[in-house]
Amino acid sequence: MDVKRLIEIISEDIPRKKTPIYRIVLSFIIRDFKVWWTYKFWLLLDISGIILFVITYYLFSLITTSQQVQEAGYMVGGYFTFALIGIAFQQYVHFAVQSINESIREEQWNGTMETILSTATDFKIFLLGEVCFSFIVSSALLLMSLLLGILLGAEFYTTPTSILTAIILTVLLIASHMDIGILSAGVIMKVKQGSPVTWAFSWLSQLVSGVFYPLKLLPWYLEWLGRAFPLTYSLDGIRLCLQSGKDLTSPAILSNIMCLIVFVIVATPIALYIFKVGYDAARRDGSLGQY
Amino acid sequence: MEYAVETFDLTKVFVDKEKKGAERYVKAVDHVNIKVKHGEFFGLLGPNGAGKTTLIKMLCTIILPTEGTAKVNGYDILKEPVKVRSCLGWFHGETGGRSLYWRLNAEDNLRFYAYLQNVPKDVAEKRINALLEFFELSKDRKKLVKDYSTGMKVRVMLARALLHNPPILFMDEPTIGLDTISAVETRKLLKALNTELGKTIIFTSHNMFEVEQLCERIAIMKDGRIIADAPPSVLREMLRDVHAIEIEIREVNNISETIQSLSSLSIVRKVVETRNDSLSIIVRLQVDDEYEAIPIIASKLRSLGVKVSAIRRSEPTLEDIFVRLTKEGAA
Amino acid sequence: MRVEDIIELFREDKPRVSSEIRHVWAVFWANFKIFLSYRTWVIMETISTVASVAMYSFMGLQVDARRVALAGYGEVDWLSFALVGVATANYLWMCISRLSHSLQHEIREGTLEPIITSLINMRSYIIGQSIRGFIVSGYFMLGVLVVGIGILRVPLVINPETILSFIAIILLMVLSYAGIGIMAAGLILVYKKGDPLTFLFASITEFLGGVLFPLKYLESIPILYAIAWLMPYTYALDAARRILINGATIFSLNVLIDVAVLLAYTIIFIPIGLRVFRWGVNRIRYEGTVATY
Repeated sequence: MDVKRLIEIISEDIPRKKTPIYRIVLSFIIRDFKVWWTYKFWLLLDISGIILFVITYYLFSLITTSQQVQEAGYMVGGYFTFALIGIAFQQYVHFAVQSINESIREEQWNGTMETILSTATDFKIFLLGEVCFSFIVSSALLLMSLLLGILLGAEFYTTPTSILTAIILTVLLIASHMDIGILSAGVIMKVKQGSPVTWAFSWLSQLVSGVFYPLKLLPWYLEWLGRAFPLTYSLDGIRLCLQSGKDLTSPAILSNIMCLIVFVIVATPIALYIFKVGYDAARRDGSLGQY
Repeated sequence: MEYAVETFDLTKVFVDKEKKGAERYVKAVDHVNIKVKHGEFFGLLGPNGAGKTTLIKMLCTIILPTEGTAKVNGYDILKEPVKVRSCLGWFHGETGGRSLYWRLNAEDNLRFYAYLQNVPKDVAEKRINALLEFFELSKDRKKLVKDYSTGMKVRVMLARALLHNPPILFMDEPTIGLDTISAVETRKLLKALNTELGKTIIFTSHNMFEVEQLCERIAIMKDGRIIADAPPSVLREMLRDVHAIEIEIREVNNISETIQSLSSLSIVRKVVETRNDSLSIIVRLQVDDEYEAIPIIASKLRSLGVKVSAIRRSEPTLEDIFVRLTKEGAA
Repeated sequence: MRVEDIIELFREDKPRVSSEIRHVWAVFWANFKIFLSYRTWVIMETISTVASVAMYSFMGLQVDARRVALAGYGEVDWLSFALVGVATANYLWMCISRLSHSLQHEIREGTLEPIITSLINMRSYIIGQSIRGFIVSGYFMLGVLVVGIGILRVPLVINPETILSFIAIILLMVLSYAGIGIMAAGLILVYKKGDPLTFLFASITEFLGGVLFPLKYLESIPILYAIAWLMPYTYALDAARRILINGATIFSLNVLIDVAVLLAYTIIFIPIGLRVFRWGVNRIRYEGTVATY
């Protein structure tokens, strides 16, 4: 093909349409899936890690009493169900936030981020694309660990309304942790290291959000700190649904939902702002493609 | 007589595993036989990918040969690798400053290798100070290597290769990442190490003039083989009657046809290479007499309808030598 | 500094001193300094160690003490039981993962090539790297124990005899895994990735070794129970608990049995490990992949 012919083809001007957002997001998801599929080994590892985690706590539950869990208002299933919900959902958000960070870092390493941002894609859509895939994979892992738990004898109090309420709480959990993922991605762009934000968040939430024990067992200052984490409200709400059969009519559930909504409303603009700051800083010192 | 470096059919074949078990064999070094005398400044010249680095790495015991062996300072690289290591210094410029500990400073990097090379402490400190000063790193000696420029990293690596005062130096593209001034200083130092202290230096480069300046003897490597082994004077002699011209072609319909008809001209000895410049194709020819050739070629190109932006005389290059050598080999 | 000065300096040549101890020291010191340069990581890791101890203390509030007694260490509270487990398991995991981690780093950064051309032998290199690992992991283990004993008042038996015995058991534990660690390092050289494997290995050890619950509860699954008693870690943990919880010493009969098993693993696996490692080094020299930048 000679130059003239090529120029003809390229310069043929088709009016540009605005690509719908879902198409862009979908193309991100497909791309991520293809990349991720080449790391099958890591997938196997994630899965076996979660399996071992669940079994370990199953065995641990054999030496516990269910007294504290029941006193906290979670009636069915005892300690194992309690811990299973804690682990499954904590891993869920941890995995999702972590993989957002990793994909941002990877893009920076490979220099693909520069290319993407040089196309006409808005950075908010870029973020949404990055985030979606992480949540799809982690949802699969979540379901898997819950199934494994049931095999090991976890009991749930399931009515259609309680399941529905649990799903609503999960969606709010995702929304609030997307904010955290975006926020730490902004920090990563600036400091170019594994984000201390993700790390601190992950550890603190494991300690104070009641993953392994009811919040009542914590001293007052840690319990108070726990109220700053969206995971605390989600876990409490989901457990009340699945262990005590509560639904949207219960005031305890409603207050959990309200807290999560407030968190999302407050955190979204902050997270986007911090991401923008990090992104602009990286563009300013020309380090989008640097590691 | 015992040689500093002597290779016996040294060969390295790399296996490239592709998908579905298919294997591809790459002969990086192909039955190489060279002999380097003690105290010789020996140049290894060749384009990128000729196998120079693999050859050097085998001699430094980093890579094991597929076939054949070699002796360094009289020790066999397969049977006595430890003795071989005790008498060589290795530098590899192509890494561009990797192969240092980036999270240590220059001093700590050098001290680490001094220990591994069994240099006594007082001697090591004296040499580290001197080398850092020589390579103009004294100021930054406490700074972590990760904050160095590429040129500075390369200079730390050079210091590392010299630190233990080895009798044989393998200098693989030592001037590649350096600015002009440090490159000149480095060449001076290597020359002095050779003439004053009698060190054997094996020096690789793809820059013909650098090698010609420094080396007493030059081997030319291409596609894993040594295709010539001669002092630079012979090399220069070989190039004396090379007459080359370069044609800069702006627009052409069929390049291979054009080259065909150019090489059929009686005054053209051989088309050496075609390469791309920013906007044009450059064709390099060896001819019998450049002043006679230029008008003949110009009119030929005009009759072919090729648009040319320049035709000029050109200095001999590495490519010309290859053409000469392969032609002679065939004759 | 002129060219002539450098030449003058190199004219005097003292004989080199050959000493493996210097090699080990150089490798240890360089890598220790590199470790210290990752300041953020050290701080983060320290805090998360403390946080994990706190977490276990709250988990312990839900444990039925009678069931812990099944483990055979008498009337013991769960936190003492778990603290010893967590401290030793973390230590082991850190030692092994540090070695594989820094080896991968050396390959990627191309620093292994100059090491091969130098006079150090691979044994000194591994020993130097390992000593770094012992010390770094020791710091974190000390953190766990100090927080547990000092702040949470976990009633462990601490006196000169138990401390020395405990240190001896830790050393034996590491030695019994050294062969496997070195073997893993050899495989990493060739296959260039090992983090997943060491990770899996560590979580299986932690799960089957009875860190959080008495192994009695595994008896219902005979296969897992058998595997658990095949791992040297199980013996090391048993010995460590007998020492720190019951005040036994290394000369107590029960502990001596554990020690014997650990010694057997050490003697069997270290030569195998070294052989695999040597095989790995020669293999990458043959393939020409000593550096993969």
